[in-house]
Amino acid sequence: MSEKTGTTWTVYDANTLSQAEIYGQVLCDLGEQHPKIVGLSADLAKSTKIGMFGDKFPDRFFNVGIAEQNLFGMAAGMARSGLTPFVSTMAAFVTMRAAEQVRTDICYQNLDVKIIATHGGTSFGAAGSTHHCTEDLSITRAFPNMTVLVPADGIETANAVKASLDYPGPVYIRIGRGFEPTYYKDEEYGFEIGKAVEINPGTDITIICCGVTVLQAAGAAKILQETDGLSVRVLNMHTIKPIDREAILKAVEETRRIVTFEDHNIHGGLGSAVADVIAESGKGCAFEKVGIPDCFCIVGYPEDLYSHYGLDSNAMIDKVREIMGKDFEEDENWDDEV
Amino acid sequence: MATERDLMATRIILKAVLPVSKVVMDLVPSMQKKFAGVTGSFQLAAKHEGEEIGAAFVVEDGVLEIHQGVLENPDIKFTFSKPEALNAFLTGGIALPKVKGLGKIGLLMKFVSLLLSLTILLPNKKPKKPDKMKLKVNMVMYMITTALSQYNKAGDPEMMKWTKSQPDRIYQMSCEPEGIAAYLRVKAGKTKAGRGYYTRKHPFVHMKFNGAAGALPVFLNDVEFVEGVSKGYVVIEGAPEYGAKMNDFMQRIQALIT
Repeated sequence: MSEKTGTTWTVYDANTLSQAEIYGQVLCDLGEQHPKIVGLSADLAKSTKIGMFGDKFPDRFFNVGIAEQNLFGMAAGMARSGLTPFVSTMAAFVTMRAAEQVRTDICYQNLDVKIIATHGGTSFGAAGSTHHCTEDLSITRAFPNMTVLVPADGIETANAVKASLDYPGPVYIRIGRGFEPTYYKDEEYGFEIGKAVEINPGTDITIICCGVTVLQAAGAAKILQETDGLSVRVLNMHTIKPIDREAILKAVEETRRIVTFEDHNIHGGLGSAVADVIAESGKGCAFEKVGIPDCFCIVGYPEDLYSHYGLDSNAMIDKVREIMGKDFEEDENWDDEV
Repeated sequence: MATERDLMATRIILKAVLPVSKVVMDLVPSMQKKFAGVTGSFQLAAKHEGEEIGAAFVVEDGVLEIHQGVLENPDIKFTFSKPEALNAFLTGGIALPKVKGLGKIGLLMKFVSLLLSLTILLPNKKPKKPDKMKLKVNMVMYMITTALSQYNKAGDPEMMKWTKSQPDRIYQMSCEPEGIAAYLRVKAGKTKAGRGYYTRKHPFVHMKFNGAAGALPVFLNDVEFVEGVSKGYVVIEGAPEYGAKMNDFMQRIQALIT
């Protein structure tokens, strides 16, 4: 559990499996039922938790060393041979170091390779720009045949991994550093690839989010309801491609204000995907996208980075208030209550 | 000569420990009964650099307030020769004050009783009855959030460095199902301790204690914090590194006043 060492250790909740551990466990369960599943990693089996699969099925697990291009080339070959490879390494290495192999070896042939990319976005904040990955959604969205998923937490990661098995073609599942707080309590909420989940009903404004921002948006919506009386719809857009056009257009018509939040560069990710749908519809809508601006992310703890880039619930509250055009009295009494 | 550490301890005792006597007054019927209809004041003071520092219990018709500073003419006054002596007296040690108002023996006994009720905060007091457990958790939670704020306001360099770099953030503590909650608000070097749940913003870190039975072992250091998490005594929602850092400051404060 959480006592395991490495970069995913946490004191968050030792009784709850981390996001990465859940997918490791789910993959083990799937491996028992589906003998054609194989696992591959590039010397990051422990950090990415695909090592759990390797421990259980050592003859079906391949650590290729620090050679990500080979990792995806091998996965493509295995898929062509009738196996179902689940490949895991850090998002930065999937989408940039091995971009050509993912694109040409896997996507071009529309192969059933399932990629679990860990440490997406700024979730590996303290490791610096080399390990940040705020471009992956933009890159993978542009690969034909690729399906792009960004689960909100460990529970949704479990659903995404299971759903990807029967989903045709390559699937990119982007998760965080592994121990983000969970939003969902169980797996029974109707996860379906390509269908957004409305986690909070609302009519004043719609927040569209994915990944780590889902929990934050849920918290923001609750406070905005309680303190400001705002009715905030929150859509967990776990599938970036193919995006749920129907849910977006419904939000345009019913709330007329949309703001997106994503742990990704504002160019090319969730916000851009949503903007494409709105623009193509020709319908009017107040729209803002919040993410990492067009810069290399600063270095720090993820929570500080989320705060810095306006992705935590407090910043979301401020952004929604700004969009709603409401003024609020500052809380500037600093006397301790006794 | 009082050291900075002594003065920090005095400040925390006066501004964070004594105020939680209001919790006793709110939750303990026998104490309410004792002070019903009572009006009077009880000053605790210590001499320091030619002046007096202190705080006073002021009761008006049974309603308690804690006055920070020194009253001109309290009914009863305990004056200590130095801050270290006041600290020792209020943390279970031995120190004899100069006493004014001995003639008001009835009032003195009531205030001493109120003062003694604070001994439940001492780490060696491990209540077993649910109402006492709830009382202690409530008092400790209120005391520690205020102490954290005071620790920053008093200028502890490390705490100041920690708070200065943070935007508006709420560090919430809660203990359910007892309904006990308190928070520390931090914003660019400023801090404020508050009671209950902060409703204007989502907490940055939320320490959710699993009932008084879960909170006490953590507060009393019967278990390490991480062990408390693994045993399900407490769940940390939010940034784990910051939760751990806040716990470090809590430990330092506890070491300062025990």
